[in-house]
Amino acid sequence: MDTYFKEINTDNNENTSCMINKKNSHIGKNKAGSETLKAYLWSAPSLTLICLIVIFPILYTAYISMTNMNVYHWTNFTFVGLKNYMDALLVFDNGFISALIMTVVWTVVSMVFQLVIAFILASLLNVKGLRLRNVYKTLLIFPWAMPGYVSILLWKTGIYNSQFGLLNQWLSKLGLEPVRWLSSNLSAFICCTIVNLWLALPFMMTIMDGAFQSIDKSFYESAVLDGAGWIQKTVYITIPMIKPIIGPSVIITIFTTFKQFDVIYLLTQQVGARSGSDIHTIMTYAYEKAFVTNNYGYSSAVSMLIFLMLVAFTMFTNKMGQKKEDL
Amino acid sequence: MKRQAGNNIKLLFLNMFFVIVCFISMIPILYAVSVSLNKNNSLLSSNFSFIPKAFTLANYRAVFVDEPIMLWLSNSLILAVSTLVIALGTGIPAAYVFSRKRFAGRNLILKTIILLYAFPSLLSMTALYKILSPMGLINTRIGLIIVYTGTEAVFALWNMKGYFDTIPKEIEEAAMIDGASPLQIVVRIVMPLARPTIAVTAMMVLIYVWNEYIFAVNFMTGSNTYTLAAGLYSLQAGEMSGNWPIFSAASIVVSVPILIVFFALQKNMTTGLTSGGVKG
Repeated sequence: MDTYFKEINTDNNENTSCMINKKNSHIGKNKAGSETLKAYLWSAPSLTLICLIVIFPILYTAYISMTNMNVYHWTNFTFVGLKNYMDALLVFDNGFISALIMTVVWTVVSMVFQLVIAFILASLLNVKGLRLRNVYKTLLIFPWAMPGYVSILLWKTGIYNSQFGLLNQWLSKLGLEPVRWLSSNLSAFICCTIVNLWLALPFMMTIMDGAFQSIDKSFYESAVLDGAGWIQKTVYITIPMIKPIIGPSVIITIFTTFKQFDVIYLLTQQVGARSGSDIHTIMTYAYEKAFVTNNYGYSSAVSMLIFLMLVAFTMFTNKMGQKKEDL
Repeated sequence: MKRQAGNNIKLLFLNMFFVIVCFISMIPILYAVSVSLNKNNSLLSSNFSFIPKAFTLANYRAVFVDEPIMLWLSNSLILAVSTLVIALGTGIPAAYVFSRKRFAGRNLILKTIILLYAFPSLLSMTALYKILSPMGLINTRIGLIIVYTGTEAVFALWNMKGYFDTIPKEIEEAAMIDGASPLQIVVRIVMPLARPTIAVTAMMVLIYVWNEYIFAVNFMTGSNTYTLAAGLYSLQAGEMSGNWPIFSAASIVVSVPILIVFFALQKNMTTGLTSGGVKG
């Protein structure tokens, strides 16, 4: 493909530049206006769709969040101002603040384990002389390739279920009582974290593996000559070198972990199959308030709060990215 | 010589380590495969093994004969293809324009798109329900297509715009000099060059619709309108009930197409995605 580009470029470069110069001299202000009009014509279908299906529902959610819409007031709801926001932020017993704390803990724990384990796996995959590395990589990527909700449901029944689950089958082999893994908060949290790790590690490992391969090996050679050990090499060469490469992917993963819904919902909170534990991230909290307890106004307020947090986080990371580019 | 031997032992341990890790990470899948192929699933008996002792395809037969999986499949395909056509049909020209032209409002719109990209559509579910239900679109395919199209239109625009940015502009300028019309440029030059990102974006849209269950479960109430995901969701085994062997067979059936697509496109997947979304 590259050669293809080059050929066309060299053929036309000279012509292009002089022709463009000629053209530009004829064109006045009108050009910019008609260009804008054309651009909007081309993008109109897409932008209209996005306005109608994405932006309008968000604005509508903002509107609902200021009403008392619930199952009794589905159509005859009234405007209540910021009451729902106050309820979420100021009344601790409502559970939003604890769900938020839980979400932060969940994100931090997941990210730490992900980064550490992915780092170890990727660095071991890059040991010299490991011939089967591509086979291992393919096998380790499998959890990423599986449809997420299918994997979660397989974990739920195949591993954690008190009757069919492997864990309990092994326990009973050892002569122990079966355990209901998902019924208490702490063990449910650990189970969810494990499943989330299982789902997310392949992506992180692939990114890290790519980053490792981009490091110039001569750095290590000279470091070894200077007498650096494994720890020094890792701290002073590997980590600083892979940091900028994995940065964007890590940020994306923080987002998806923070917004994680499927793992916790499918493992512990499915309607009619609640496992007994009561762990909530903000996403499952918002969902439950809307579709289980049918408090739509309150749930919409929570949704808007989550959206504002995501907006703030997005703008923050974008600014960081821009600063880096400037340097 | 000594160092060589030491290295070999190290590699042996490393290989053993990876075999074990791979095995552990495959356990949930292997277990499901084995249960789905095993004839006598006396699950409570404790001598379970990963290799089925009595081989059978009865569970797979049951999935295709007893469950309306073909109906679910066709529902999923209709939704997926419609979403795909709308999202890409509108997304390609928009992504192209946003990548190539500089016009008033462009930056503002792009910034908004980034924010929308961070917004999980799950959060506006109530509003979507409230909007679609007076139009009689709840429990219809059109309703779900509308919901899916919104999410995927944002993704398609953003992802493909990122890829178009990496295609040198000079090629199009050259074609323009040669007298090609904008439409000709897009169809003859840009589209062929953008094939990888169009393929990856299309696959991502298909996978999204294939895997989406929460809207499908909440917005579709009759089992004959179920998508594959919603159907599988309804088949799952509860704590004490449900048919675990049939569910695992259905899970495998649903996963295989996605696995094939994923591994076929794996190379494109990473380049098409990283050059799109991340760079901006």
